[in-house]
Amino acid sequence: MHSTNEILKGVRILTFTTGYAGPFAGRLLASYGAEVIKIESRKGGLDTFRHYGQHKDIDAAPRFIECNLGVRSLSINLKHPTGAKLIRELAGRSDAVLQNFRPRVLDKLGLGDEELRKSNPKLVIVKLPGFGSEGPKSSYGTWGFNLTAFSGMTYLWNHPDQDRPIGSQGVYPDHLGFIMGPTIMVAALLHSRLTGKGVSIDLAQIEGTAYTLGVTYLDAAVNGHDPQPKGNRDPQAAPHGCYRCQGEDRWCVISVRNDDEWRSFCRIIGKEALINDARFVDRAARAQHTAELNALTQQWTETQSAEQVMTKLQSAGVPAGVVQTGADLLQDAQLRHRNYFVSFSDSLIGPFEIPRSGILFRGMSEEPLRLPNRFGSDNDQILGEILGYDLATIDQWRAEEVLT
Amino acid sequence: MTNTNNASSLLPGFRVLDLTSSMGAFCGKLLRDLGMDVIKVEPPGGDPTRSEPPFANGREHREGSLRFAYLNAGKRSVTLDITQESGRRLLLDLVARSDIVLESFEPGYLSTHDLGYEVLLERRPKLILISLTGFGQDGPYAHYKTPDIVGTAMGGLLYISGDPKLTPCNPPETQSYYYASLFASYGAMLALWQRETRGIGAYVDASIQASMALHEHVAFNYSAEGRVMKRAGSQHQHNAPANLFQCKNGWIALFVTQNHWPILLKVWEDHPVELDDPKWINSNLRRAHADYINAQVTSYTCRFLKEDLAELLQKHGIPGLPVNSPSDFMKDPHIQARGFFSTVTHPVLGSFSQPGSPFVFDGKRAAPSSAPLMGQHNDEVFCGELGLERGKLEELAASGVI
Repeated sequence: MHSTNEILKGVRILTFTTGYAGPFAGRLLASYGAEVIKIESRKGGLDTFRHYGQHKDIDAAPRFIECNLGVRSLSINLKHPTGAKLIRELAGRSDAVLQNFRPRVLDKLGLGDEELRKSNPKLVIVKLPGFGSEGPKSSYGTWGFNLTAFSGMTYLWNHPDQDRPIGSQGVYPDHLGFIMGPTIMVAALLHSRLTGKGVSIDLAQIEGTAYTLGVTYLDAAVNGHDPQPKGNRDPQAAPHGCYRCQGEDRWCVISVRNDDEWRSFCRIIGKEALINDARFVDRAARAQHTAELNALTQQWTETQSAEQVMTKLQSAGVPAGVVQTGADLLQDAQLRHRNYFVSFSDSLIGPFEIPRSGILFRGMSEEPLRLPNRFGSDNDQILGEILGYDLATIDQWRAEEVLT
Repeated sequence: MTNTNNASSLLPGFRVLDLTSSMGAFCGKLLRDLGMDVIKVEPPGGDPTRSEPPFANGREHREGSLRFAYLNAGKRSVTLDITQESGRRLLLDLVARSDIVLESFEPGYLSTHDLGYEVLLERRPKLILISLTGFGQDGPYAHYKTPDIVGTAMGGLLYISGDPKLTPCNPPETQSYYYASLFASYGAMLALWQRETRGIGAYVDASIQASMALHEHVAFNYSAEGRVMKRAGSQHQHNAPANLFQCKNGWIALFVTQNHWPILLKVWEDHPVELDDPKWINSNLRRAHADYINAQVTSYTCRFLKEDLAELLQKHGIPGLPVNSPSDFMKDPHIQARGFFSTVTHPVLGSFSQPGSPFVFDGKRAAPSSAPLMGQHNDEVFCGELGLERGKLEELAASGVI
């Protein structure tokens, strides 16, 4: 049986990444078989996630491990002329480069697209800058947190009629970047393979984010108004939303989209009389009475556990779900069925489980993911076996702080 | 600055049959923006997305759904009843000329109509089938119905979203559909690579829940640290000031790390002297006292217009950005200069500004085109490409197959 962990076997990708989106993009390429070489340096070029949390050991930060599974580690000082030269040589023996540094950082080190491509015209280069490589604000510093704000997503991600924006505590654009990055990377690798030509991709994370709000922008453009937050409302379903259940901070979601689902819903909540109630007789009528529907829905959900709501309604063909916490996800029967979590019992940080991927390949096997290789532990092998340098030379570079 | 050019695309020459409705349409959209020929196969009444809001001028009309217009921009449209035998045969003729089939039916639906992966493979060796559903093709929840809010709930994002005093709040549009569509697109690219290098097809099983459960370290935080993430409004879990701050004309999003903190104090010349205490360099300490830090920072931010403050802070390397409305974003000079939006013309909707592809390659961005009318390409595809006689097309149209 073929293994999904070998799909990209033979593809070598150099990554210059830090934080969440860029490293995780590297992880997703590595977990499908690419040889991902993560390039960092103690001379001002360590991935910031190596210091996330309380760990002193730069290989033990759980957040770093989560985002860098399966990658190899090369420690090279890019500011040293020999370091930059070695990267150019390595680019000659690689298929692609992935980077999420600010625009022109690599160019200033003599590692711009043209220089990297000199010895390898087929080289694919994918960049994930926050605001793109070009444009009046391309030098702006960005995080997932404030890209959400700039795109309009924070403004929209709220209950209706609130007196302040809320958005998210998180970094939604990073999640978009770490899946769009590998997708465009493999597309670019295919392009290079089929045309024999390299290609440079600029995937601005702000545009990746805005790509998921296009319906809203069209609404603004065509209808000439500024779309407002909808919260949990859906104009085509009622009841629809998030409802409190039994227990501390426990919630479920329910969506009743048509008459069939409405009839089943009424039977499950023990209110068959409502089926023929004139206020709720069809979708249009129900849309006029959402406040009453939400109230009577919550009256019922408060007497149920979230799991009961989901099981009873879904068994009757009515969309419903548990508003799951992190603890719920780890126990979720469906995720377990998909063999979704990879278990690690590492001496550095103890046992833990990591979610794998949104996709499965049916009829193919899937191997466990590997921990990231320790910082700099692949130096000798990469410089020796890929570039052909002897150990004495490599040791000298270590002494000269080229490899650090 | 960015050259928008219709003729240039990254992966021309591949064909995709998009049998999805709104759940998987975003995947077909990205494949289209990568340069593929994407044929939307709509049931005879039209893709249900055509009846989803928002509508142009608020008027429900099958060519007026802006949701359909965005998610299907640049695709071709044919109508076909694949549950009838003659429609099924035409679909198989199309499959024989396609590289990828994309579907989001309930698991088992295609097999019920004798269109399972094995049947498709017979007509098109090495075919790539992408199935996108709420929970995947099998397992205890495989047949659960999954509107977007069920996807965000079951994947864990909903629980941590919103003001802790209020009900959890779903993100805008249908993010769980989009997010799973991105994973499905990655699956499509991996499968194409595998086909090119090994000569085999693939059946990709994308799950909305499994895609969403990767978000925000929700599962990982519990597994590695025993910590259940909760709603926290706009407050980031590990950092402060990392929140939205009031300005004169709205809000600014700040994310100030250890490195940025001393710079912020320098720019903010009259900051309270207490903040000079070196203990505040530590992000964890600032986060532990986020209410205090946020109140102090607000006393500074509220003196500025949000755009002016963002520009001032960025000049000093501090990543502040304004909280934009969608229209603010569309008007932003940077976004305009990058050519992210282009004007498209649609026979019913008229001319309007539409986002293009989210990436630029070799300085070029493929310009967006408009969405197809229902069945606009029936003639072109069935007669022109499959060689169906025009009389036969009319006959199939009359019997409701096309």
